[in-house]
Amino acid sequence: MSVSSTATEALQEDAPVAALRRTPWWANQRIGLLILVVLLSALFGVLRPAFFNQQLVVFPLLRDIAMFTVVGLAQLSVLSIGHMNLAVGRMAAFSMMITGISYDLWHFTLYSGLLVGLIAGTAIGALAGWVIARTGVNSFVVTLALDFLLLGLIPLVYTALTDNAAFVTKPPGMRELRNYSLADICVGNVCGSPAVPQLAIFAVVAMAVVGWIFTRTRLGRELLMTGSSVRAAELSGIPTARRVIVAHAMSGCLAALAGFMLAISTGSIKATIGAEFMLPSFLGPILGGTLLAGGFVSIWGTLLGTALTTVIRKGLDLLGVGLESLNIYLGLILLVALSTDRIRTVLSERQGVRRR
Amino acid sequence: MRRFARSTEMTLLAICVVFFVFLVIASKGDLVSANSLRVLLQFLAVPVLIGLAQMVVLAVGQLNLAVGAIGGFASAAMGVLMADHGVPVPLALLIGFLLAAAAGLVNGVLVVLTRINGFIVTLATMTVLLGVQYRLVGTRTVDAYPQGLKDFGSFALFGVLPLIFIVALIVAGALSVLLRRTVPGRQLLASGGNPIAARLSGISNDRSVIIAHTLSGAVLGVAAILTVASSPGVNKSIGGDWLLPSFAAPIIGGALLTGGSVVVLGTVLAAFIVRFVDTARAEFSLEPSWVNFVVGAVVLGSVVLGQVRTRRQQRRTVVKAPDATVAGGVS
Repeated sequence: MSVSSTATEALQEDAPVAALRRTPWWANQRIGLLILVVLLSALFGVLRPAFFNQQLVVFPLLRDIAMFTVVGLAQLSVLSIGHMNLAVGRMAAFSMMITGISYDLWHFTLYSGLLVGLIAGTAIGALAGWVIARTGVNSFVVTLALDFLLLGLIPLVYTALTDNAAFVTKPPGMRELRNYSLADICVGNVCGSPAVPQLAIFAVVAMAVVGWIFTRTRLGRELLMTGSSVRAAELSGIPTARRVIVAHAMSGCLAALAGFMLAISTGSIKATIGAEFMLPSFLGPILGGTLLAGGFVSIWGTLLGTALTTVIRKGLDLLGVGLESLNIYLGLILLVALSTDRIRTVLSERQGVRRR
Repeated sequence: MRRFARSTEMTLLAICVVFFVFLVIASKGDLVSANSLRVLLQFLAVPVLIGLAQMVVLAVGQLNLAVGAIGGFASAAMGVLMADHGVPVPLALLIGFLLAAAAGLVNGVLVVLTRINGFIVTLATMTVLLGVQYRLVGTRTVDAYPQGLKDFGSFALFGVLPLIFIVALIVAGALSVLLRRTVPGRQLLASGGNPIAARLSGISNDRSVIIAHTLSGAVLGVAAILTVASSPGVNKSIGGDWLLPSFAAPIIGGALLTGGSVVVLGTVLAAFIVRFVDTARAEFSLEPSWVNFVVGAVVLGSVVLGQVRTRRQQRRTVVKAPDATVAGGVS
């Protein structure tokens, strides 16, 4: 339970950051997002009471939100310094490949395999960061090229090591983790809700750690400063090259965690893991108010942005809107949300100018 | 002339020639037979165009993530119009082309109006268009369009030069002239190179951005026409694998992501190199994944080399003009 209390602390600590930016309350994106998520959930629940079915809808919904939040955090880590990671999905696939190898060939346990995967993700992220820092080439290009490289490499390894493009060895505990909810954790007589999957704990831990890094530690502050202005950061004695590497390593590590969560929830470790990560990885943080230009991140915003898109996806799905139309609505929502955000920023900037 | 000899294009040309000779030797002369050459060029037309579509927006300092979605959406629209609604071929192709150009225009207008990063705008329009494409064709493959169009797609001059490849080259030539010789083209490059300087000289950056995105859409419209003409049918997966190659070609060709560069020839040559990698892969019957792996390595290698070269050039200019060291002391 200490985990969730850390998370609440992270929530409270987000407030001073917002206050520092002196945005009026109505310009706070996260409140708007929260209201939207609640309203939409209520709306879908009224239209289709099945929306609140704990086992069939809420449980997978929360599992998806948890996973895509971690994907969003992976992108957020590099957005904090104003970089992008186009290879999030492929980094997840790469680390899961290593995890799969560790299960298949070295017979690792579930969590030591996860650890190996996280290390692999961190390493590949750090490599991307190192290339960017060393050469000064745009992060977009470097991660794009890395994406190409991994896209080619991963299927080669899979065909070399497996029979049907998936690692079939499942360490004990993997299937349980997929289906267990908080109802399976009891403290005395009090059990958790059966609607909350245990996988969500991973996301909470990730949020708490990332939130702690960005709000409490010197490292986080330095990352954000690097994001606001590389030159100013360099002049104030921050080793920006090293911060770039750290940000990308964090991104790789979180991508690996997201890949692990996807592998658990689909029940197999295959080459296509993470193929659909790119869009959600940007959706969550950007909707939540993280700046593309760097210098400002919002961990709770990422959760809420992810929750919004996932709720919409699930709700429209239940309403019988075909798969084909989902993308149309998601794209339009993204555009509308960002345009309103732009309007809000312009308005609050105008106020700020007047005050000055 | 000496400048050209040192340019990226020259390097690429040399790589192309060496690669080609190597392939001819490896295939024991098979590759220069009319049929192999025709196939080689046939599958080069669309990659050249999608590379150019990305190059245009890169020239103004923007990105277009929707290349595949615009192309796929336009192809699907054309296929459905011809097969399901019996629209005559020229009209259907024109509508598809205009739809693609309009999609590009919408991208540009949205970027200018909302001031959101082009990356995000095109990410959103990509999502929307993918949905529209899926709604148009669903899970089926539309192939009931007139034979005449397919004949156009597979026709080759002298049995060697596919018509669609010539179309792609004409588009490349037109684009090159447009960007280098016309006023809107020069303005576009000026906006890409230095927006502030461009604005101070009375150029509308907004207009440049809109023109670049519209041009990108139009080029993709042509790419969609060629795709419909040359492929056996139109389905939802068309355009799905365009995004990465669209960036690979201009970047290998030497385009700057920050804008202001035209590398039509470089983009075309880079498309050749990627195609050669694919041919080599087929020649040695390796896994298709190798192509992506090699292309990734080449992209990374070429940007790193490009960076090294610019740095060396900068150093040289700094030595020549000592004033510059004072002006740009920190960098």
